[in-house]
Amino acid sequence: MASQEAAEQRLTAEEAGLDNAKRLQGELVKSYYKWVVETKKRGGKVAYCFVMANPAELLRVFNIAPIYPEITSLQISYRGGAPPLISLSEEFGYSTDCCGYVKMGVATVLNKGQTSIGYIPPPDMAMLTYSGCQIYIHWWEQYQYLNKTPLFTVDIPYVRNYDGHVARHDIKYVAAQLEELIPKLEQFTGVRYDEEKLKEYITLSKEAWELWKRCLHMGRLKPSPLDAYFEAIYYMSAITLIRGTEECINFYKTLLQELRRRYEENIGPTPEEKFRLVFEGVPNYPFFKRFWNLFKSWNARCVASTYPKVAGIVDVDAFELNPDKPIESIAEYMIHAYCNWNMLMRTDLIRRYVKEYEADGVVIHSIKSCRSFSMGHGDIREYLIKDLDVPALHIESDHVDPRYYAEAQLKNRVDAFFEALSIRKGV
Amino acid sequence: MRVAGFYVAGVDAGSTYTKAALVDDEGNLVATAILMTGVKIVEAARKVYAEVLRQTGVTEDRVKFLVGTGYGRYNITFGHLQVTEISCHAKGAHYLFPNTRTVLDMGGQDTKAIRINERGEVIDFCMNDKCAAGTGRFIEGAAKVLGLSLKEVGELSLKGKKPVKISSTCAVFAETETMEQLAWGNSVEDVLYGVHVSMATRSIGLLRRVGIVPELTFTGGVSQNVGMVKALEEQLNMKINTSPLTMYCGAIGAALFGLEKLRAAQEVKVKR
Ligand code: SF4
Repeated sequence: MASQEAAEQRLTAEEAGLDNAKRLQGELVKSYYKWVVETKKRGGKVAYCFVMANPAELLRVFNIAPIYPEITSLQISYRGGAPPLISLSEEFGYSTDCCGYVKMGVATVLNKGQTSIGYIPPPDMAMLTYSGCQIYIHWWEQYQYLNKTPLFTVDIPYVRNYDGHVARHDIKYVAAQLEELIPKLEQFTGVRYDEEKLKEYITLSKEAWELWKRCLHMGRLKPSPLDAYFEAIYYMSAITLIRGTEECINFYKTLLQELRRRYEENIGPTPEEKFRLVFEGVPNYPFFKRFWNLFKSWNARCVASTYPKVAGIVDVDAFELNPDKPIESIAEYMIHAYCNWNMLMRTDLIRRYVKEYEADGVVIHSIKSCRSFSMGHGDIREYLIKDLDVPALHIESDHVDPRYYAEAQLKNRVDAFFEALSIRKGV
Repeated sequence: MRVAGFYVAGVDAGSTYTKAALVDDEGNLVATAILMTGVKIVEAARKVYAEVLRQTGVTEDRVKFLVGTGYGRYNITFGHLQVTEISCHAKGAHYLFPNTRTVLDMGGQDTKAIRINERGEVIDFCMNDKCAAGTGRFIEGAAKVLGLSLKEVGELSLKGKKPVKISSTCAVFAETETMEQLAWGNSVEDVLYGVHVSMATRSIGLLRRVGIVPELTFTGGVSQNVGMVKALEEQLNMKINTSPLTMYCGAIGAALFGLEKLRAAQEVKVKR
């Protein structure tokens, strides 16, 4: 119940000055875009890549800087800039039903890279790692068509075994494509392949993944020092954008320290921790803070979630980079992209989170744009409630298109969920 | 009416109607009132609240707690607490029919299926998607095109023999869909029967998602529509609870939440 009673207020991490990692993240994003522009100026190439399943370390060997249109779109959208881009693509011919990321990504190149968050260099190549999302293919082909860029494709087989086992031949299949890619990238960039460099980047990546994993595991603590969804979404930037660098490692070292201090001082993202949630689904970016507030105002903290792991489900050791087997371990990493996991694995991951992180309930947020993320959400809800007796809430909006965000209706559902949880928990 | 020590009130500011309920210190419902919400939510809320006081002669100072619910609940600034209509309908339905385990609330712009426990607490709920398809709006649209009142629409549908298949329950297309069916030569009664059947099918889909455990209580404005009650009972093959009071369930539940709050506060005092 939205009682107006004022609880004795503890400080939040933000108020207590224990929220520096987020500020650092902001700077890091800016410097990443600068680095891409500079790489290009120094004769390097720009590759448009997907967040899921990209071989970032391998590209780096060829002096290729990745741009992630998904991230560019969410950054623009977070700052309120989505509508003109979405309209532009709809005028260009895309249907309203098409994924908002795609429309924004295409509009960005139609606008020659001029965006409300600065200049985004156009692609020299499109690196298509086809995993889970069907639309990837057509989206990257659109870049190929609009920018006359070469399109490099790695086809990634879906994880078909319900227990998550990936057959040797699947790994070989992806590794072989990466081996084939190497001479093509040599030819395209004029840079010779250097395996030592690849090993070095993988070693750096591995360390960052390890640190990120430890940060995520802090959600198990009671109270959790972090919101492993809403805050983790900021924190995931580094592993996505700059893994394979010292900077990335340093970011997670700082974050880990900050989270430890938060825990020692019993400080977190909300004044208290009344509810521990597991969150499934892509967030709403145009109203990110307001969306977060729907949960924050109930003193709820997400202790585990799936979306911040789209760059790699590291917290449950889904993959392990190995500098001694560089190509093969990248192949394995690529196969274990979140949307490349079958529904039973995804459902089971959520079950594990609820148990291991001792959550009170699960919030499932479907987005209109995305089938690969939102499919099966209704079934997950039912499984949680009926089979596991875990309270679950299913809500819907969109990740970038503000037209699909109806706050009054969302609030109604969220509040009712917490009202029921309060009674269940007796708080 | 017994003169009680104090009273609690609930005001349910819905999208179409605003309702109020007054409950005494022993938890007896003593008055209800209803008004069109219109654009001035606070005004409607105040008026309808004043109406329950007027009916009973209870003065405002004897109302110790007021709970707001419904979409306009955050506008009810003169209240002490806001609770969603999901929790309130659950509690209200349980008050009117204590054996209720499933609630179907059909209002002007949304439909909710709620599973509750033996204490009237929400276990699970499901609502229609953001669009108003399959909600009360659809019946309103059909009524408008036929120049009938909502009451007449329900009654006429009972005379239908063979429900016409209505595939789209989109609230925006309710009028064109109805006109089209009439243009095909279907009788008004059969079209209306069809309208109610298709809406019942949609809500049953929602109910199945939370699980249909008897007894089922039908609340909200549409629960007063006899056509809807019949269509639901036919398709579910079970009896459902309704009464002239079920449209006030939100307000009744809200008032009862107020009473619980007060009792809890008193217990704390006693313990201290
Ligand atoms: S549909 Fe989903 S997975 Fe595919 S591009 Fe859009 S947001 Fe990403």
